[in-house]
Amino acid sequence: MYHRADEGCGRVTGLKLRHPLSGAIYSRRDDGSVEVEEPDGSRGVFEPDGRWLRGELREADPHLLGFVGGPELASRRGPGTSAPRHTGGVPVPRFDGGATGSAAGRRRNLEMDLGLDGKRVLVTAASRGIGLATAQVFADHGCDVAICARGEAALTEAAKDLESRGARVFSQSVDVADADALKTFVTAAGEALGGLDILVANASAGGGPGEAAWQANFDIDVMGAVRCVDAALPFLRESDAGSVVFIGSTAALEFLGIPQAYNAMKAALIAHASDLSQSLAGQGIRVNTVSPGPVYFEGGNWEMIQQAMPAMYERALAQCAIGRMGTPEEVARTVVFLASPAASLVTGSNLVVDGGFTKRSAF
Amino acid sequence: MAIEPLAPARVGEGERSQGLSYQELLDTDTRTVPEVLRLQSARDLPVVRVPIERYVSREFHDLEVEKIWKKVWQFACREDELAEAGDHVVYDLADQSILIVRGDDGALRAFPNACLHRGRALKDRAGRSKALRCPFHGWTWSLDGRLQEVPCRWDFDHVDRDEHALKPLPVDTWGGFVFVNPDAAAAPLADHLGSLPRHFERWPLEKRYTEAHVARVMPCNWKVAQEAFMEAYHVVATHPQILHGIGDANSQYDAWDHFSRAITPNMTPSPHLKETPAEQEQLDAMMNRSLDAPPTVQVPEGMTARQILAQVSRMQLQGAVPSVTELSDAELADSFYYTVFPNFHPWGAYNRITYRFRPHGNDPHRSIMEVLYLAPYQGRKPEPAPVHWLDVDEPWTEAPELGSLAKVFSQDTFNMAPIQKGLRAARHTHVTLGRYQETKIRHFHCLLERYLEA
Ligand code: FES
Ligand SMILES: [Fe+2]
Repeated sequence: MYHRADEGCGRVTGLKLRHPLSGAIYSRRDDGSVEVEEPDGSRGVFEPDGRWLRGELREADPHLLGFVGGPELASRRGPGTSAPRHTGGVPVPRFDGGATGSAAGRRRNLEMDLGLDGKRVLVTAASRGIGLATAQVFADHGCDVAICARGEAALTEAAKDLESRGARVFSQSVDVADADALKTFVTAAGEALGGLDILVANASAGGGPGEAAWQANFDIDVMGAVRCVDAALPFLRESDAGSVVFIGSTAALEFLGIPQAYNAMKAALIAHASDLSQSLAGQGIRVNTVSPGPVYFEGGNWEMIQQAMPAMYERALAQCAIGRMGTPEEVARTVVFLASPAASLVTGSNLVVDGGFTKRSAF
Repeated sequence: MAIEPLAPARVGEGERSQGLSYQELLDTDTRTVPEVLRLQSARDLPVVRVPIERYVSREFHDLEVEKIWKKVWQFACREDELAEAGDHVVYDLADQSILIVRGDDGALRAFPNACLHRGRALKDRAGRSKALRCPFHGWTWSLDGRLQEVPCRWDFDHVDRDEHALKPLPVDTWGGFVFVNPDAAAAPLADHLGSLPRHFERWPLEKRYTEAHVARVMPCNWKVAQEAFMEAYHVVATHPQILHGIGDANSQYDAWDHFSRAITPNMTPSPHLKETPAEQEQLDAMMNRSLDAPPTVQVPEGMTARQILAQVSRMQLQGAVPSVTELSDAELADSFYYTVFPNFHPWGAYNRITYRFRPHGNDPHRSIMEVLYLAPYQGRKPEPAPVHWLDVDEPWTEAPELGSLAKVFSQDTFNMAPIQKGLRAARHTHVTLGRYQETKIRHFHCLLERYLEA
């Protein structure tokens, strides 16, 4: 006995084709199965490989079935970055890129195509945290990546991981504060990858007190980004998908408890991104900032704060509206989207990714 | 084991489909059609039945290795995989392994991939190195094959440098493809290719880069796999969704010395259809349009789907292909699939596809199918895509670089295991081939026969 289309597991949502010889109509349902209706009105629902599921029609043309219901083009997906064990007690929702969780996890819904396949991406400070996660998500989406960091060992490790995701990788140990070394790296990266489409300026000196911190945040957070853009421009101009993302911080937007160079320098960075978005728009290059709130990962700042200043950590955690801190991967996915051709209309924005940590109305 | 001639082939009236012939379709072109598309080969191939044994027996596989794979010119890699001095590629087939190296002098050389000391394969995979150094004891040859270094030379007084030079094998290039021949006494590549280069004069394959390269293990004999891509006869049953936009049974088939060609016209309705579809329906079939979705491209009044498709392709190729405006509708719309004996399938015009099929190790029931997309480019030649390997149970759709064709390949692959199963189970002894539409397969088996007898 045949069940109506909207009973049972899935409705007709996808491709609908008529068999040019038999006249049968084949339609894909959202659970990946295929519904067949013969010209005489008999119907059946089948797995994409031809196995009968239900309905009075017991057999259908397996070739057309395969075409209508076959697995969608699967994007290259590596084994996602592992979530940190401690995020304030709230489980991190798994991002499964459109997998429906049905039959053997094989079938996928139509995914939004980020248009990243084959793009060449440079991420600074990418051996850990947000930088590493960002490079990983780019690699999973078919990009080739150039990365730098100060420590050789972690960098080699990161490069290996990215390679295992199918990316071509160019890596170099660089001190971002060293203007010449930074520019040489960016140029070498562009040459090695045969161009650059996307630049993510992620390096930061982090928070700290005193005049030394002002200098370090200026040299690394601000000038690091400025110099990267300068050196990358010749490549970005050649690209048909040129885009730059700066990593800002919510510390630039709301008072965090202590006045620091970090907060002010991130504000400078956001302002500069906005300027660049105007001046580079005519050359087809988009510039945006992503400002993360507290991001927790092993070996990261918030882990240290949790141990050294538990009260401050608890306060920050309590301020996160979603009840937990962010993960590097959650920030990374935002960066990757914003950098991708899928965000072609977005430029000059400062996208706050903080799980409700900041309380202002973002008009 | 021999093929059985039944009758001489004549293709005259009544021996091909009633539809428009390809030559008639060419007469409607909006541009001048290149001469090569006007060529039609002589049709003196015997109609054949092929022994099933050829697809399922290990003995026949061994014979094939001896008589064909050890004797024939075969496509090993693309030339851009060997761009710099020291670049090398390992080409494996059954038990053979050939190392192809770019020398300091820029020349390509091929050597058996075996150390002359105790035999280890010199290289495990493609790479770049200054010399050829065996990882076992470190014997080292220069890129041109001269023995350079033997650790503890005192222990090998008896080893003569010249005698222990790597023995070169014939290697040559055409169309940006590197060919090798395991037979040191082989006739030149040019003899094997015959008039093929003339066919490709207008579509120089050396001016392409490897946009995608996917290799998949197939659950069938290599000939089963390749023969599924040598005719359009299977379209009606295997790819019914495209019948509105493909002149499957109106295809033209030709065979010359060592190569054959099929031409399947697109954007012209299949003669299998009972009613002639509108021009828009022909285009929709190709674009895989849903019944309830608006058309992606609209065929304007007074134009045919074929002209529109050609016009869109001309726009896409602008810049990458010189004098694109002169290309005929046929070159932009139709499929020209060549087979160079034994296993190399470059496509003509701008379709991008090249296939290669070969045995998987020595298993007659497994093979490797490769799809290369060779795309024209503007400016600097992009790096070739690395090989993306898919295992026997990974669908083509796992290779997003194949785009929408992945689904069509999946339909073809859907048949492979059941063909092998049927052939293994068969109690009859031969497969039967069509007189016209399976010309390319018949031609292949005639050549195979010739090699077996040599
Ligand atoms: S119909 Fe051709 S193999 Fe069965
Ligand atoms: Fe096919």
